[in-house]
Amino acid sequence: MRLSRHYVIQLLLGTATLLLASILVFLYIKSSTDQTSRYTESRDLIRQMQQLNAQWDSEVLKARIALTHNYDPLVTPLTQITRIWEELRQHESYHAPKDLPGWQASLDAGQAAIQDKARLVDQFKSHNAVLRNSLAFLPTAENDIQAAFTRLDDEQRLPLQSVATDTYDLLLSSMEFAQVASDDRAAEILLGLNLLAVNKERLPADFHLPVEILSNHVALILREQPLVNTLLERIAAVPVAERLDELTTHLNQDQQAADLIDQKYHNYLLVFSTLLVALLLYLAIRLLRSFTVINRVNRALHTANASLEQRVEKRTRQLRDAQSELLDSARQAGMAEIATNVLHNVGNVLNSVNISADLVARKLRTSKALGLGKAMQLINEHPDDLGTYLREDEKGKLLPGYLNQLVEAIAVEQQGLTDELAQLSKSVDHIKDIVSTQQSYAGVSSVLEPLQVSALMDDALRMNSGALNRHHVTVVKEYADVPQIMADKHRLLLIMVNLISNAKYAMSNLTDRPRQITLSIQTVEDNILQISVKDEGEGIPAENMTRIFTHGFTTRKEGHGFGLHSCALAAIEMNGRLTAYSDGPGKGALFTLQIPLNDAAGPA
Amino acid sequence: MIRPLTRSPRPSPWALGLAVALGVGAALPAVAAPLDEPLKPLPPVPLLDAATVELGRQLFNEKRLSVNDSLSCASCHQLATGGGDDKPFSLGFDGKPVKLNTPTVFNASLNFKQFWDGRVDTLEAQIEQVVISPVEMGSDWKTVVDNLTAMPQYQAAFSQVYPDGVTAANVQNALATYERTLLTPNSRFDQYLLGNTDILTIEEKYGYQRFKEYGCIACHQGMNIGGNMFQKFGVMDDYFKGRTPAETDLGRYLVTHDEEDRNVFKVPSLRNVAVTAPYFHNASAKTLEEAVDVMFRFQLGRVPSAEDKDQIIKFLKTLTGQWAGKPL
Ligand code: HEC
Ligand code: HEC
Repeated sequence: MRLSRHYVIQLLLGTATLLLASILVFLYIKSSTDQTSRYTESRDLIRQMQQLNAQWDSEVLKARIALTHNYDPLVTPLTQITRIWEELRQHESYHAPKDLPGWQASLDAGQAAIQDKARLVDQFKSHNAVLRNSLAFLPTAENDIQAAFTRLDDEQRLPLQSVATDTYDLLLSSMEFAQVASDDRAAEILLGLNLLAVNKERLPADFHLPVEILSNHVALILREQPLVNTLLERIAAVPVAERLDELTTHLNQDQQAADLIDQKYHNYLLVFSTLLVALLLYLAIRLLRSFTVINRVNRALHTANASLEQRVEKRTRQLRDAQSELLDSARQAGMAEIATNVLHNVGNVLNSVNISADLVARKLRTSKALGLGKAMQLINEHPDDLGTYLREDEKGKLLPGYLNQLVEAIAVEQQGLTDELAQLSKSVDHIKDIVSTQQSYAGVSSVLEPLQVSALMDDALRMNSGALNRHHVTVVKEYADVPQIMADKHRLLLIMVNLISNAKYAMSNLTDRPRQITLSIQTVEDNILQISVKDEGEGIPAENMTRIFTHGFTTRKEGHGFGLHSCALAAIEMNGRLTAYSDGPGKGALFTLQIPLNDAAGPA
Repeated sequence: MIRPLTRSPRPSPWALGLAVALGVGAALPAVAAPLDEPLKPLPPVPLLDAATVELGRQLFNEKRLSVNDSLSCASCHQLATGGGDDKPFSLGFDGKPVKLNTPTVFNASLNFKQFWDGRVDTLEAQIEQVVISPVEMGSDWKTVVDNLTAMPQYQAAFSQVYPDGVTAANVQNALATYERTLLTPNSRFDQYLLGNTDILTIEEKYGYQRFKEYGCIACHQGMNIGGNMFQKFGVMDDYFKGRTPAETDLGRYLVTHDEEDRNVFKVPSLRNVAVTAPYFHNASAKTLEEAVDVMFRFQLGRVPSAEDKDQIIKFLKTLTGQWAGKPL
């Protein structure tokens, strides 16, 4: 949630920056596209065309008055204008959008005018060339006729004098017509031509050709001169210069418009930059402010940190004290537990000791040795006739037999006592071991010794045998053939004794079915030794399953509940584990001990 | 202004002034200043991009420009023999003769318009038309471009000169560029105009004089001695009277449909005229004499003396220039 808000803010900031930057760039480009040079260039092109156009006009005039006979100068201006026009068309200068069609129209009008003029100039060239030619030739043509006249003798010449004058007049009016092509003169010339045609018939044959040539040329002048004049007028009327002026005006207007827009963008840029500067200033102040805030917060943080450190130190000290207290109490508790364990285990073994002592005492009380005393009394009553008494007296005769039986009985008795005493001393040994085991808790590492597990199990059984007998518990042994192992005898024995004793207690309230303990020894997966004790007793309810191995747990009123906890510890100390299983209350329980199988004969 | 009769080749005061100002007259008295005449010497051959010119030269000789790979520009415009065709009518791609006499390509770039009827303004436009002309090359530009693109040497040459490689516009530009180099400078008459007045014989000088006096310069003048205006063929008399009418005789009328333009043609250049027989748009004059006769009668309406005509023809022969260092 906070993360996405952060992200959104960053995005917004980025977009804003980008926006500002693009506005700036946009305004900059808009305001810096200085169109002035383009307009100047365009105008310059138009100016060049104006010049060429003027030059064109002057060349036309020169050709008209036959100052030049080279018509190339009437072609080159057009060629150049065409080239410049192309350049102008490709020149991109700004034109207000609503004015663009206007500009296009002006361009088109300009081009049309130029084309019009080009066509007219071409026609002018053709007509002017022949007209000038004939005009130039006219005096020669007339000369030819006059020369023919001079060749005539006076007699022949006199009647034709008027013809000569007419011809000369025709020449003159044709020349004048070239200056002022009025209709009157045209009519006059036409008249002169007709007259010449009539006169020709009166002239000798060798006059015919020159006259014909002259009249042909005069006719040409009569035809061409008005044409040339009209063409000149039309050429002058073609508004090329005006169109070019219009273009210039257009450019000026557009430049003004562009300048205005330019100015506008300049202003925008100015305003925008001012805004930006203000924003920057504001941000700078904000930055400075936030610096002070940061400093203040920093200082506060420093102080807070220092006091925090002190507090932490104090708390640490307190904690450390509490810890050592705890440790002490733990140590005490541990000691207590160990002591309880020892007492419990010793208690278990003392049970056996008690039973053995009880048995010995009972055996001694009912000893057959007492019979020996009675026999000795009988013998002592017959100190003199002991032999006779033994041979003849009824009672005396039975005495040897009785003594013999007694000897046998005492021997059996003695054997039993010896056995019981051996058991007793074994128990005492066990107590000794328990004590030394408890000492090993205090650091003495466990002592591994070769063990026959089944024998150890039997020892454990025996340690519990009295109680088992009293409670009428049947013991079923399922011993597999397991090798001698290296193990900690006392821990193992402790576990076994405890498990058996627990099983026994678990069945103490059992009345409806035979009480039976199943002891099994087997190997699992070749490397684990598994010892299990199964009873048919009250079972373990599921809720207790996890608690039974904890310290101080017991279900017994007597409070001998520490057994399983120390057993589990012992199992762990032997790198093994102790587990319990029960199908539920009243369904018996199965305790299983698994320890690594260290073969005593193994390679170790 | 009654008798402005004689015109002599006299330098104008302006040209004299210039010559003096430049110190030409004083420093180099042996070399006369250029003459100020209605006829002008050829401009120098323009210096154009060599690669483009070479590409244009190859294209000029490239038969694949025609639809059936039969004709190149050079087939009709034979550069070794005057830049035109010696036949009255060149044969088109289909072997049929075209309708007009083939003009020379030499100095064509100096003409104010192209073709007899002057229907196009530029060499590029002229090339554009001749390639697709159904009587000349008969092709179309897409085919031409495809054909050229298929030839690696052209691809390379084009991409060397033009960024966009083989296009119709580039083909036209290369050809036109080449044509702009097809000038024939150094004719004896040009040398005369440039001041070497001794190079012409006295007869040839008279010939030039007559050429001007009779008024040939009314139509044939300028640097190309023609090629800068339109004129009716038959100013003084109907040239086409009694001839089998041909559509092409209508001349510029075919372009403008203006009665004024009936039988009007572009005045041809007279440069190299001695080597470009036959003459006229319809090749109706086999010899220069014939052509000059026609000119006198129909364009000038005058009768020259045999001597004058002879001298004019002698003069016309001094107009033959050089190409590739050799006289044509
Ligand atoms: C079939 C023969 C033929 C071929 C091939 C040919 N031309 Fe021509 N050319 C002519 C004829 C005929 C004319 C005159 C046509 C007209 O005026 O309408 C002409 C006219 C011209 C002109 C105009 C000259 C002038 O003074 O008006 C030029 C330039 C020219 N050709 C160049 C070329 C070029 C470049 C090519 C190759 C692309 C080419 N021609 C191919 C026959 C040919
Ligand atoms: C009124 C203009 C005019 C005058 C004056 C004129 N000519 Fe021509 N000349 C032309 C025209 C137009 C043509 C082309 C006619 C055609 O082929 O249709 C031409 C063609 C020619 C040709 C043929 C060129 C060719 O390549 O086909 C020659 C040669 C020629 N003129 C020489 C002369 C001479 C010499 C004179 C002077 C005696 C002269 N002309 C005077 C207009 C003129």
